Amino acid sequence: MTPTHEIPSHPTITFTVNGEACSFIMGDGSHELPPSYTLAQTLRERLGLTGTKISCDHGACGCCTVLMDGKAVLSCMLLTVECEGKEITTIEGLGNPVTGAIDPLQQAFIDNTAFQCGFCTPGIIMSAKALLNENPSPTVEDVKEALAGNFCRCISHYHVLDAVIATVKKGGE
Amino acid sequence: MKPFAHTSAGSVEEAVQLLAKYEGKAKLNAGGTDLLGVLKDRVLPDYPEAIINIKTIPGLNTIEECEEGISIGALTTLVDIITSPLIEKYCPLLKEAAVTVAFPQIRNIATIGGNLCQDTRCWYYRYPDKIGGMIDCFRKGGKRCPAVSGENQYHALMGAKQCFAVCPSDTAIALTALGATFTAVGAESIRTLPVNEFYTPLGNVLTPGEMITAIYIPKPSPVAGQKFLKFTLRKPIDFAIVSVASIITLDQGICTGARIVLGAVAHTPVRVLKAEEFLKGKELSEEIVAEAAEFALAKAKPLSKNAYKLEIAKTLVKRAVRGDSS
Amino acid sequence: MKEYRFIGKSTPRKDALDIVTGRTKFINDLTVPNMLYGKVLRSPLPHALIKNIDTGEAMRLPGVKAVLTYKDVPDWMGGLPLHVRILDSKVRYVGDAVALVAAETEDIGEEALRLIKVEYESLPAVYDVEEAIQPGAPQLYEQFPGNVLPQGIPAFGPHSLRELVIGDLEKGREEADFIVEGSYAYENIPNPLPPESPGAIAAWEGTDTLNVWSASQGPHMIKVSLQRRMGSINLHSMGTPVGASYGSKFMSWQYVLPAAALAKATDRPVKFCYGRSEHLAAFTVRLGSRIHGEVGIKKNGEVTFLSGDWLVNTGAFSETSQAMVAVGCGEVQLMLRCPNWSLKPKVVCTNRTASGQIRGFGGQELECALLPLLTMAMEKADIDPVNFFKRNYVKPGDGYYWRDGNWWVCRGIDYTKAMEQGAVRFGWKDKWKGWLKPSSVKGVKRRGIGVGVHGNADVGEDVSEAYVRLDPNGTATIYSGLAEHGTGQRSNICKMVAEILQLPLDRVSVTPNDSRVNPYEMGPVGSRGTYAIGSAVIAAAEDAKRQLFEQIAPKFAVKPEDLETEDGMVYVKGKPGTGIPWIKGMDYDRTVMGRGRFEPDFALPNFMMIFTEVEVDTETGKVELLRVVGATDVGQIIDPPGIVNQLNGCLGSAGIDSALFEETVIDTQLGRIMNPNMIDYKWRTFAELPEMEHVILETPIPSHRFHAIGVGEIATSPGPSAILMAVTNALGVRIHDYPLTPDKVLSALGKINTAKRRVK
Repeated sequence: MTPTHEIPSHPTITFTVNGEACSFIMGDGSHELPPSYTLAQTLRERLGLTGTKISCDHGACGCCTVLMDGKAVLSCMLLTVECEGKEITTIEGLGNPVTGAIDPLQQAFIDNTAFQCGFCTPGIIMSAKALLNENPSPTVEDVKEALAGNFCRCISHYHVLDAVIATVKKGGE
Repeated sequence: MKPFAHTSAGSVEEAVQLLAKYEGKAKLNAGGTDLLGVLKDRVLPDYPEAIINIKTIPGLNTIEECEEGISIGALTTLVDIITSPLIEKYCPLLKEAAVTVAFPQIRNIATIGGNLCQDTRCWYYRYPDKIGGMIDCFRKGGKRCPAVSGENQYHALMGAKQCFAVCPSDTAIALTALGATFTAVGAESIRTLPVNEFYTPLGNVLTPGEMITAIYIPKPSPVAGQKFLKFTLRKPIDFAIVSVASIITLDQGICTGARIVLGAVAHTPVRVLKAEEFLKGKELSEEIVAEAAEFALAKAKPLSKNAYKLEIAKTLVKRAVRGDSS
Repeated sequence: MKEYRFIGKSTPRKDALDIVTGRTKFINDLTVPNMLYGKVLRSPLPHALIKNIDTGEAMRLPGVKAVLTYKDVPDWMGGLPLHVRILDSKVRYVGDAVALVAAETEDIGEEALRLIKVEYESLPAVYDVEEAIQPGAPQLYEQFPGNVLPQGIPAFGPHSLRELVIGDLEKGREEADFIVEGSYAYENIPNPLPPESPGAIAAWEGTDTLNVWSASQGPHMIKVSLQRRMGSINLHSMGTPVGASYGSKFMSWQYVLPAAALAKATDRPVKFCYGRSEHLAAFTVRLGSRIHGEVGIKKNGEVTFLSGDWLVNTGAFSETSQAMVAVGCGEVQLMLRCPNWSLKPKVVCTNRTASGQIRGFGGQELECALLPLLTMAMEKADIDPVNFFKRNYVKPGDGYYWRDGNWWVCRGIDYTKAMEQGAVRFGWKDKWKGWLKPSSVKGVKRRGIGVGVHGNADVGEDVSEAYVRLDPNGTATIYSGLAEHGTGQRSNICKMVAEILQLPLDRVSVTPNDSRVNPYEMGPVGSRGTYAIGSAVIAAAEDAKRQLFEQIAPKFAVKPEDLETEDGMVYVKGKPGTGIPWIKGMDYDRTVMGRGRFEPDFALPNFMMIFTEVEVDTETGKVELLRVVGATDVGQIIDPPGIVNQLNGCLGSAGIDSALFEETVIDTQLGRIMNPNMIDYKWRTFAELPEMEHVILETPIPSHRFHAIGVGEIATSPGPSAILMAVTNALGVRIHDYPLTPDKVLSALGKINTAKRRVK
């Protein structure tokens, strides 16, 4: 079955990733971006932002979580072509780009050893970041709910909760 | 994913025209949280030629109150439903259902229209092509349903003849209890579809050229108690093993109105009229509620491995009618 | 207790910054120039002969660089004994590899798979371990009649443990006050399911040198185990950070050999990473374990004999199941002091995806099947299980046969105190109401408690080697093939070296995991990281320090042993004012290289006890895990948050939750795994965490420099059987069928009567 090319939807697509504009020419040519590319694929394969992980690739594990216009979304379940005009933030975009300082949430993950293998950590941090953006003083229950879709097989959950709550407490000081 | 053509629709009109143009070989994409999984796993024998993005259609993501009801645009995200004061005020049942769907990242992007139109989760139907090829089944045009003699622990308890997959939508169960209707728009038609007539044994009544644009919910009685209970192995992520939505009106302890709907027991939400009738005019004692639960499941015919769903369904009916929190 | 500068202190993981910023490069984050992607065509049938295979159309697809079938793959073998080809003319499970493709992109590779035409001759399949050994059952391998694999494993020596036959069964029978018998199983074959699916990149240099980058828990063992099998080539193995393994990615020829074959065929580097559905449907799961057993017990809780047939279902092949049987037979003796044994294992092939190594390594599988039998005996004797385990857990001076077939005498510690303190923390005494009695009942909800125990004497298994190089600028570099798979062990060996050399932690680092750089390393398995690997590294650091002092002593005109070092300065003991920096003592153009080796020692069992409390909804059959208390004794904690993390791991990776909801569901009409996705394969979420606490005692282990032993591997092992016990007590009826999903609970309560019995 040959794909139909009669109605190109966006010959180019533009969105921002970590504050920088990205444009792609859509298409199946070798230097174009196929419309079937997910945002996760584009971030990892075209932009080299491999901090965003693909684990289940089916929207069931949260490892590919990024922020889209400030909200946590699953980049493996979004078509890049449908991200026109969106602001995307990945794990690489946290922290202060001027000073290079990491985000207090990332620091809290270090301080609490809130990871083991670390594969799911970027997704977990991004989900927690989205929560804190929306609600700077969540309860432990709020954090559990916000992270309900984030897989962690090593069971670092308890330390993650400590880290997020520590960030909340620090922010409140 | 295998390549496809992609286009974004700027209006409902454009979307349905595109559907017509592709003659059934295009799929609409809203949140994408269901469709992309189907495409990645190559679940279906036919792969769409084109994907039509409908998130770009303006005006379909609002929740509005009119005199007699609430109107919800089909592109309204589940998170917007959960946080809507109007939904909270008039149909907390729908909020309770929406909040059980998946987990936050999904609810941020998944739409109510998509939740209603999502494909079944039957694991035979959804089996990934990569691992030895898709599994042929009645729903895909095959001769038999492999679940009947297979791993049917999540399959239908009632009403199934050839395909034993169940309706996976949680919001559909709530909307059935609320007596909602959908607006379906095609290239040359606009239809109003009551939710209880929407689902068919192999999907829904939409033609390949139609899309749902809005959901209308008549305002329920303000004194009625609404409840949605969903049984799963895990609170987040899971689709219902059984769910129950109920709207019970009591007048001085006597039941004056009852709507009870079972979810994940059939291809469609199942309104259990007999149980509803039985409750009316009665005081809701333990015995009466238990008897109503028996009525509710009277038509159930368990398969080899899903009799437990029947027990759970009865329990959920009792608990929902009583207004228990879980 | 000695106060250390780093040991026992919470310090940030050395790799923490990379992890939290997304900079850590896991295998699928790496690319090599000119790299192709490998894909596998997987069998639709559980058992079949390939009659014809046509790759022409796939080869013609633009971007496809190689299509390999059983006719043209190299004859490199895997399995124990070697019996698995990369591709064979016969397929033995749904998902078995039929053909390999290398292509310019993943999408092209997947499209090519669809163009390969295969004709199969379908053969009858068998899934049940007992049906598989019946006469007339389908035969998976010609060389293994009756589907029974030969016992023993050469790596464990000529006498590797094949069965447990000790003492006199008849005597044990006579001495018993009660004898119980029965058949129980732990056969839900959970998947450890690390978040990163397995993968490797292979690239040849000429014809006899192969570079492999892989996510492996034992990258050096990829070199050691594979290079001979591949025609005495030289294999350079580079280990990447592992997105967890839980044992499953140890010596994984399953992904290395296909990548190497495709790389050879195309003369280009090839990356081959499993997708998630492949990981769930066609990678290794836990062993299936079934016991037909008999046990005798005295009124005082003394076990007089244990006999039984242990049927081990290894699926389509044995990755290393005989090794797991050997270790399992060892571990059961640690859990249960008993003078008379007759435990006869049989490793059996069936037509499902293979079983492989997973934390708990044989012992968890054996004990989970055995515990229902033991609890019935305890019930007969009316003995509290905590008291039973206290009485029967191995004590210093007790002997046991270990995996090498030798009799080892325990010179470890007495874990009674840990058990007692665990019980107190849990509140066992208040909650224990006797066998088959709930600890409390509230309406339709009933609570129950259970306890399990497990130990392993592999903390000192196998050889480790390490070097420690001191540079004049006051830094130390550890040369070790230790993989980082989540335990923080690469950080921990830095802490050990920093402690010995009294260097700031940021002055100590570990070499990249490259077999060209580092000496032999078995890998962080079997809880051996702290004791075995740690001891090799410690010895190397001590050796380096000794050499440093020997070099510098003449400058002070003292004996080397009169010197001390701190923060890169050397001084005469007791005279810190005499200090000079290393560079002044060594000169800028000298380094010091210390060497260390650890030799195996199986005399130190570790220990883990898990207490659980559950609440069962008797109307829906749902079991909720309310609380977990772990108890152990590790001699000396190296890294406090690290060990708590590891013990918290008792829930996931095919641990406690394999008694609650984790299972691999197989449709035996089709031979297919029905839940190869992360919605239908159930795993624990943030939303449903039980209360979790641990009692971690520190009774010094004299034979370790910091008096420590490891315990991480076995965190999962005691949990599943503790859950069975807890639910049995909550319900007041015996329930044995893992996992305890609502159908089984309602069936045990007599509310439905359709749940199948798996054990025949």
